[in-house]
Amino acid sequence: MLGRYRFVLFRPFQLLPVMFGISVVTFILVRLIPGDPARVLLGARSTPTALAKIRAQYGLDEPMITQYFYFLKNLVHGEMGRSTLYKIDVLKLIATRIEPTLMLVFFAVLLSLVIAVPLAALSARKQGQWPDHFARIAVTAGLGFPQFWLGVMLIILFAVSLNWLPVSGYGKSFEDKALHLVLPCLTIALSLSSVITRSLRAAMISGLNSDIATAARARGVSENTVFWRHVVPNALVPTINLLAVNIGWLIGGTVVVESVFALPGMGQLLVRGIFSRDYMVVQGVAMVFAVATLLINFLADILTVALDPRVKF
Amino acid sequence: MFRKFSRVGLLAMTLVMGAMTVADAAGVLSIGRREDSSTFDPINTAQNIDFWVFMNVYDVLVRVDKTGAELVPGLAESWDISTDGLTYTFHLRDAKFSDGSAITSEDAKFSLERVRDDELSLWSDSYKIISDMQTPDPKTLVITLSEQSAPFLSTLAMPATSVISKAGFEAKGQEDYSQNPVASGAFVVKEWLRGDRVILAKNPEFWQADKVSLDGVEWISMPDDNTRMLSVQSGELDAAIYVPFSRVEELKADDKLTVHIEPSTREDHLLMNHEHEPLNNVHVRAAIDYAIDKQSIVDAVTFGQGKVANSFIPAGALYHSDENGARDFDLEKAKAELAEAGVDGISLDYLVNAGNEVDEQVAVLIQQQLAAIGITINLVKMDPSQTWDMLVAGDYDLSMMYWTNDILDPDQKTTFVVGHDVNMNYMTRYNNEKVKQLVAEARLELDSAKRKAMYFEIQKLAKADAHWIDLFYSPFINVTQKGIKNFDQNPLGRFFLEDTVKTAE
Repeated sequence: MLGRYRFVLFRPFQLLPVMFGISVVTFILVRLIPGDPARVLLGARSTPTALAKIRAQYGLDEPMITQYFYFLKNLVHGEMGRSTLYKIDVLKLIATRIEPTLMLVFFAVLLSLVIAVPLAALSARKQGQWPDHFARIAVTAGLGFPQFWLGVMLIILFAVSLNWLPVSGYGKSFEDKALHLVLPCLTIALSLSSVITRSLRAAMISGLNSDIATAARARGVSENTVFWRHVVPNALVPTINLLAVNIGWLIGGTVVVESVFALPGMGQLLVRGIFSRDYMVVQGVAMVFAVATLLINFLADILTVALDPRVKF
Repeated sequence: MFRKFSRVGLLAMTLVMGAMTVADAAGVLSIGRREDSSTFDPINTAQNIDFWVFMNVYDVLVRVDKTGAELVPGLAESWDISTDGLTYTFHLRDAKFSDGSAITSEDAKFSLERVRDDELSLWSDSYKIISDMQTPDPKTLVITLSEQSAPFLSTLAMPATSVISKAGFEAKGQEDYSQNPVASGAFVVKEWLRGDRVILAKNPEFWQADKVSLDGVEWISMPDDNTRMLSVQSGELDAAIYVPFSRVEELKADDKLTVHIEPSTREDHLLMNHEHEPLNNVHVRAAIDYAIDKQSIVDAVTFGQGKVANSFIPAGALYHSDENGARDFDLEKAKAELAEAGVDGISLDYLVNAGNEVDEQVAVLIQQQLAAIGITINLVKMDPSQTWDMLVAGDYDLSMMYWTNDILDPDQKTTFVVGHDVNMNYMTRYNNEKVKQLVAEARLELDSAKRKAMYFEIQKLAKADAHWIDLFYSPFINVTQKGIKNFDQNPLGRFFLEDTVKTAE
């Protein structure tokens, strides 16, 4: 009945064991890092009494296996336990942090496409000429700059010297938020667009040399129409998959960028969580990131099926 | 499609232009710091990130003044101490909570009972000495101690003893109160964006409200040191705390900014494990002390912002002694001490907090300096959250740690460091019965001249034993715009935001 879209029904069931696996792995990994949340919280003020109290308050004195069952039980009830660092429910905490990260990822991807599509088009159509060389140098440069460095450079230029944009943080009103997002999005987009441009350029070049393009040209279709009607849509399919595969990398990128720009998002929460050995937060954020990655790949599959009639899952 | 794009473009333009106008409302002070608060429940935290904010939301019975050396009246207008030193009678002033209700002795008693008895309290040990509390009338609190204690009064200035509203707490419950408290201090919590910022507004009911100039304070978390400094330089923030040593000179050169260097009680010191050979030999410990050139560490690591430390009681703190026989850098004396010890080929494991820049630099410097007297240092880098457990277990020879005082009285640190208390003298396993006894006696001595002499003696004895090596004292370094006046922090870390003025300069 659903034809090629039948996988939409079954895929969610396949995701369940994956999620279970993720819960086990994050639970174990975060506890494998040496260190003790209670000790981190108390610092030099650690006394045996205070340490014991904190461990008891957060169930850290229970055996590992008991802690894991609590974690699972909470998950089933839609809870994620209490953060040792922030002392509130992790899900509540994540709810307050999800917006900046979503906005950051969404606009960074959008901005990357805005940069990458014209650049790749230019590069593919002028293959071997100076615009192509320029684009390829730009791409290599974009891949070469580390984000923490690029972010600080953009701040120094646009926020401190020119004073056009805010240095950091996240605003309250919509306009304010948009302004605060420009530099972080640009930081991510400059490297992400490099990845996309490379793949798009290659796909476009093979599209331009394909039989479809030759046949279209033979029918007297103009070169512009050939390119935009036949080459670009075909080149987009692998790019969508590339983006989906890169989403993990992108989320990793938010960790760095959010710290540099003091964006109160999930990435920053994860970093603080790891440094403080806030097990609940690390588990919670990792679960959310994992679900997001799975969902985005799922969506990408649906989109691929929609765009390419040959694909079947 | 194109219309949409042009609208986006227009929006972008207005936004950019909007950003060029000044962002902050007048009278609201924005302060950048490394991380956000975790709670406003005073008993449930041991972190400066919490203390430094709620010290301006709650008042305490007894305050520490700006110099960090004297106790001054807070919510208690005056107090009497019985001649046996066991009964303290506090007379509360007329003051109100932010909800308009009167602050009574019942509230003060409730707050102290929580810190002493509550399961959530991380400070209960320090207040077990309170055996009884009575409230004969709403303005009088009588506290009875189970034994004499010279430092007791100064423990009532601890942020953990902040006075909270009993009625407010019972109505709201712990969870809500810890996020949205009824204030007894200069500011109330207006809004708290978890992980991002705490927004405080002036508390019009505060008993010194007419003295408070600011309309509010925003504590904004900016984990990255570079970003935080750039935000002040660009004028986006009024102030930033935790200025890295390396940035001080650059910020001083900026004529829009003022760098505030305030004495703190922070001391960085080198722990030595007295149970491990040959560190059990006092001559070896003394040799190490002589061989470490502390000034060169101060110059290289703190960019000259720190000061060489000579005693575990920091300079400027109560009963600090300069005549304790501190050892100046002297390689000849170091070699002589080693010769006396009669051991050679010494090799020691130095436990380093990996990823901590200052820690790693000091470790390398000390490694080089001790090589000059033939001591080999193996650097063992460990994650900071793990090093503490290793110190407790004794899996180390040398390790750098630090301490900041929470109370004005030297008893807290002295007990922790040489008092032979529960923590093996800050994990050094130092053992000197005479010192142990003096620390216990000094806690009970109510005559301040005699007490001072005892602390001088303790510092002398501990230094003679080279119980650890005092490395350096470092200040609090904050930066503000020029127009921010009276942005003061006392050595115990309290910001006096009730005195801070934001001018347009």
